Amino acid sequence: MAKGVLVDLTKCIGCGSCTVACKLWNDMKFQDNEPTMGPVEIAKLSANNWTVVQYYEIAKDDGKVWRFAKKQCLHCQDPACASACFAKALQKTEAGPVIYYPHLCVGCRYCMIACPFNIPKYEWDKTFPLVSKCQMCSTKVEKGEAPACVSVCPAGVFQYGEREELLKNAKSIIAQNSSYVQEVYGEKQAGGTSWLYISDVPFEQLGFRTDIGTIPLSTYSHNFLKYTPVVAVSWGIILTGLYHYTKRRNTIAKEDKNVKL
Amino acid sequence: MENRSAKPQSLSRRGFLKVLGGAGLAGVAATITGCSTDQAGGKGWMPQQYQVASSWPVQVRGRVPIDPANPSITRDDKKCILCGQCIEACERVQTVMGYYELPIKDDIVCVNCGQCTLWCPTGAITEVDHTERVFKALADPNLHVVVQTAPATRVALGEEFGMPAGSVVEGKQVAALKALGFDAVFDTNFTADLTIMEEGSELVARVTGELKKPLPQFTSCSPGWVKFCEYYYPDLLEHMSSAKSPQQMMGAIVKSYYAKQKGIDPQKIFSVSIMPCTAKKYECQRPEMNSAGKMIGKPEIMDVDAVITTRELANMIKQKGIDFTQLSDEQYDSMLGEGTGAAVIFGTTGGVMEAAVRSAYFLITKQNPPDALLSLTPVRGLNGVKEASLEIPGVGPVKVAVCSGLSNARKILDQVRADLKAGNPPSYHFIEFMSCPGGCIGGGGQPRTSLPPSDSVRQARLDSLYTMDAKMYKKRLSHENQEVLDIYKNFFEHPMSHLAEELLHTVYTDRGKHLTAKNKA
Repeated sequence: MAKGVLVDLTKCIGCGSCTVACKLWNDMKFQDNEPTMGPVEIAKLSANNWTVVQYYEIAKDDGKVWRFAKKQCLHCQDPACASACFAKALQKTEAGPVIYYPHLCVGCRYCMIACPFNIPKYEWDKTFPLVSKCQMCSTKVEKGEAPACVSVCPAGVFQYGEREELLKNAKSIIAQNSSYVQEVYGEKQAGGTSWLYISDVPFEQLGFRTDIGTIPLSTYSHNFLKYTPVVAVSWGIILTGLYHYTKRRNTIAKEDKNVKL
Repeated sequence: MENRSAKPQSLSRRGFLKVLGGAGLAGVAATITGCSTDQAGGKGWMPQQYQVASSWPVQVRGRVPIDPANPSITRDDKKCILCGQCIEACERVQTVMGYYELPIKDDIVCVNCGQCTLWCPTGAITEVDHTERVFKALADPNLHVVVQTAPATRVALGEEFGMPAGSVVEGKQVAALKALGFDAVFDTNFTADLTIMEEGSELVARVTGELKKPLPQFTSCSPGWVKFCEYYYPDLLEHMSSAKSPQQMMGAIVKSYYAKQKGIDPQKIFSVSIMPCTAKKYECQRPEMNSAGKMIGKPEIMDVDAVITTRELANMIKQKGIDFTQLSDEQYDSMLGEGTGAAVIFGTTGGVMEAAVRSAYFLITKQNPPDALLSLTPVRGLNGVKEASLEIPGVGPVKVAVCSGLSNARKILDQVRADLKAGNPPSYHFIEFMSCPGGCIGGGGQPRTSLPPSDSVRQARLDSLYTMDAKMYKKRLSHENQEVLDIYKNFFEHPMSHLAEELLHTVYTDRGKHLTAKNKA
């Protein structure tokens, strides 16, 4: 069964423990010019920042409220990045995380084009660059532990468990409390994601894309890409046939020339 | 066909080097790209307590939120190990974090007390640095740089130089400040005595009914406590003494009275304070703390320009290569440099109360208090909540309470609230609140002599202050401070005069709307 994380954005106090946990567990550098916390203009996901906490000031109930939104890879159930990757460097695991194998990657960056959430980043500053994104701490998940960011939160923002269970929990929470937006972000977006969000302010005001359909992006490309093996094999057969045909014709022509009357 | 294998191949030197270089390059390339087939991530480290099954989450985890614009404290993420000790300080000792409902409103609640800087094992959380500012001012020949030192720094600064906890280094501290180049070194003890005159007079006026403000009166010299009250008990702000803290009184006087006496343009004065406290950094930039500037029509001038914690002062002394332990004692400068024993005990929990009682006794009876009142044992010591009842002729029993550490403040405040709700007469006349456990001697800007802060270090500092009061200072009563008497004669006329109200008293802000308070008690 696939694991997931439910994020209740109303509980976030903006301490940034999750961003530090991510850096610790994944041995990532802190870069002064790439802060992991702050307004959306400065706190951005990057090859070094697999997760960030963005600050938003939002007009609500005749006043302003502060909200914090943790961003990271959403680990789609049917990931566009993995479907675009012909090298199988990106793979969706049984447990839920979408993981990346550097030794398979050819650096084509199709995944970056494919991802509707703009998650995979490229190590532009490295000599031998790789693609880089949150792994949902899949090695921890395999051991029955929660992702690093989830395990350190002091404010009870996260619930970790089976995605289907979490979805039920999320729906009952928002059903019981009318101050929540009556939608679970990630339930259907791009065919559904392992990370689910609930919030009391509209998701688009927290920098979440809400114009993504509910159909997995790979479905669109699959409609024509499914013919790729057929076309490849057919071309092979046709071209091989043509080669032998012309070769035979040439041989016959040569023999005809060499006939001594 | 000839047999070629018999002929050895000749290899030129260039060819040999080419082969070797090529192999080297190939090796380097192979090393860089690596042959690992692992997936990305997970190559780092997490504290042991987090490496458990997801169904058994650890109890102590995460960290406190710190606003990037926080004027008092800052955090270096590179050093944070998510040990959760800052939360222990904030939630259990100070009852700030976790005492508001989620979602938050429009503020990252912090009372700036800096206890988290004392608990953080890696030094990730520190005070916001003002030393650069001060060094710059000291280097500017056009500025007259004035400094004041709080009561509690003189019994802790030595610890930064390896001296035993509680070593009295008053004279050495003055010498170090003069060596750093400050133009005038004043003592916050002087304004502590002044605070007693103002706050004591206000208390007497409340008791006699002359001032239409409710009892009990709360002390107002701990800015962390003041902000805590503004956040969680704004309904009780009427009880807060309007007297400013000694730091802000000194700031206002330096740029008015002192500037006038010395004939210096207040705009050319840079006012620094040495404090055991990080909340003072927040207090000095509260928008209303510009009384001296406002008086001359320049509201942009703040009364206090920079606040240096005891730790920062130690750093400055170390940076300049001054051997602190070898300095000979020097004296504070006159005009704003005299202090009494009553003032020096401001630095410990119960001290403000004791000092106020000594002078309130005098203000009411016109006689000095009996010896028993000069050693008010019930309000001394590190207990979180202390109570006493005193007989003052003409008034009857005056009931006082003292608490330090904001978790203890809640107990007393809830009592005050309950009394008000039930319509009972107030349980106390006067309550002293100190944000930090043990008072200023255990302040958030003090040396990290034990980690987390320990009562034995607090006790050593506290004992030293009482020793100074009993044995080292000639005068033990605020109303006998000659320089204080002079400032009333030459400038303020009398406590709570119109000018004193303008420079020495302040107003408070209801911050209740920035959070939804939650009482877990």
